[in-house]
Amino acid sequence: MMRALLVVLAALAFPAAAAAHATLQSASPKFGVELQRGPPAIRLHFDQYVKILPGAIEVLNGSGANFAGVARTAGTDVVANVRPLRVGAYTVRWRAVSADSHVVSGVWTFGVGVPALSVNDAYGAGGPTRTEDVVRWLWFLGLALTIGALGLRLIVLRGLEVPRALERKIAVTAGAGAFASLQVGVAAFSLRSEDALQLPFSRFLYGDLSPMAATRFGRAFVAMTLAFALVLALVYLAWLVDRVEFLVPAFVLALVFAGGLSFSGHDAVDPGSSWKTEIADWIHIDSASLWIGGLATMGGLLWFEAPQLRSPAFARFSRLATVLIALVLAAGIYLSVVRLPHLHDLWTAGYGHVLLVKIGLVCVALVWGALHKFVVGPAVGRGDAGLMSRVGRSLVGESLVGVAVLLVAAILVDSKPPARPVPPPATATPTVAHGR
Amino acid sequence: MRPPAELVHWLFAVGILFVALCLLCEAIVGKEVWQMRAWRKYLWPGLAFTMGLLLWPVMAFFTNSAIHMYAHGSWAEVLMAAGAAELGLVHGRLRSPWWRLTWPVAFVVTGTAFIVHEQNPWFFARSAFLHHLLGWTFVVGAVIPLALVWRPRSSVLRASFALTIVAVSVMLFADRDVAPVFGHLSPLAGAPHR
Repeated sequence: MMRALLVVLAALAFPAAAAAHATLQSASPKFGVELQRGPPAIRLHFDQYVKILPGAIEVLNGSGANFAGVARTAGTDVVANVRPLRVGAYTVRWRAVSADSHVVSGVWTFGVGVPALSVNDAYGAGGPTRTEDVVRWLWFLGLALTIGALGLRLIVLRGLEVPRALERKIAVTAGAGAFASLQVGVAAFSLRSEDALQLPFSRFLYGDLSPMAATRFGRAFVAMTLAFALVLALVYLAWLVDRVEFLVPAFVLALVFAGGLSFSGHDAVDPGSSWKTEIADWIHIDSASLWIGGLATMGGLLWFEAPQLRSPAFARFSRLATVLIALVLAAGIYLSVVRLPHLHDLWTAGYGHVLLVKIGLVCVALVWGALHKFVVGPAVGRGDAGLMSRVGRSLVGESLVGVAVLLVAAILVDSKPPARPVPPPATATPTVAHGR
Repeated sequence: MRPPAELVHWLFAVGILFVALCLLCEAIVGKEVWQMRAWRKYLWPGLAFTMGLLLWPVMAFFTNSAIHMYAHGSWAEVLMAAGAAELGLVHGRLRSPWWRLTWPVAFVVTGTAFIVHEQNPWFFARSAFLHHLLGWTFVVGAVIPLALVWRPRSSVLRASFALTIVAVSVMLFADRDVAPVFGHLSPLAGAPHR
């Protein structure tokens, strides 16, 4: 143990074996630009001198052909000439050795006569994996916990005498959700960047992520990170000074910035998307988060911590849930119609299969919710003591179905909807243009 | 529009220096005198908490390498946690003295992140040297807040804690330069720019 500790300390104290690493300061052409003509050269400007390897700069078209010449250094710059480029989208991949042997890498895209691809779709990127599905699911869960706990406190328990222990647990739940959203956001951004960079983790650590930060997903990550850090701070302050008023801006921020996922998902970027699909997706996420998170908080915390609040809270949540479910269904149906050009896509396309599973789970949750509203609700109102303890478990059960819905939703978000039929072009357009 | 990295380091150095001077005043005059005005007891814990919060934008905007992003994120978390724990203790919502362990933990995490994310050797350039020195100051200096968990009223320990943070702020002010350190600058470090 002591020997291991000494080795770690020595490695930290004398990092000369690890090499110096350079940082890319600027690049030409810039990230994500649309050029009228192909660039004569690619130029990378670093903050220190670097060495080059064969293939230090690659300019790849959609089929992986490389148009870059042999790279050379010029001071702290690395330059490679580029052969004439046709109209199309291009990916630049670069790597350089700084100091002894440490390799720094990066990727960005540009377009010639067409808009640049998102760096997520750079040549060589593999697309979302199962790990990304799980991360996105955890992200949804974090949002649901934050929005649900805050919504329950501010809407359902408004004006009621809330015991201090419950107040604290609601704050802990909302704070844990915000903290999870922050952590999972970083993980999601890292995974997306790792896929675009196509690097093993040890080299990814020194990869340049700035082109990713300039994508829609990157901007959503930045905005959500800042917002949920503030939510976390506000929730803590509300608990610290015992002022529920601090939860109001926290709730509003969480609701608004949960829309970052809508801003960067299918409903913002795929064909057929518009501001209406973005808004619909945002409403879908917020309503589902409030419903599932509120249900979990009520079943898991309120039911056991504050028995005196069961009856009024159940009645109020039941009314709120009716509105939320209506919003979830309306937005979900609208988005399904936009995403699936034909009804048969439901059973012929992979996206449709996942959507069917989601619809099935939502139906289970709806039936369970209807039982709560129409059968259990009146009994809770009468204060049926024998029923009360079982209702808590039943609420947790319904929220677990909601958690499963979120898992399928995460897979759905990472799946590609079926392509929409493209109308034939009215006139022929030139497909070739050229370089310099 | 992203501010230059130097500017961000200096802004945080100012905040850290202010925290350190508050701690030094508290150590010199004693807790009772320092806390005679209620707002003063919240001053440095509140500032530490706010600086932790402000490190999140640094994490999100400075993405020129993944390891820098993780380092800034870990500093944001531990500084927020330590500030929050101190706020809870001075306000009376937290009672266990073990919450003070958040400071030595914050020091160790911060120091390790400094050392790990600086991959250049000590004498590569001034910034590399200072990153290593900052890292080791935090790692070794963690002993002081750790001792404060058991001896919270010790003036010597409180003054040492404050002076460690003063040293950290001075190093942060001097950081980020591509400049020689003790007359040495690696030929790979690029041209001195200041």
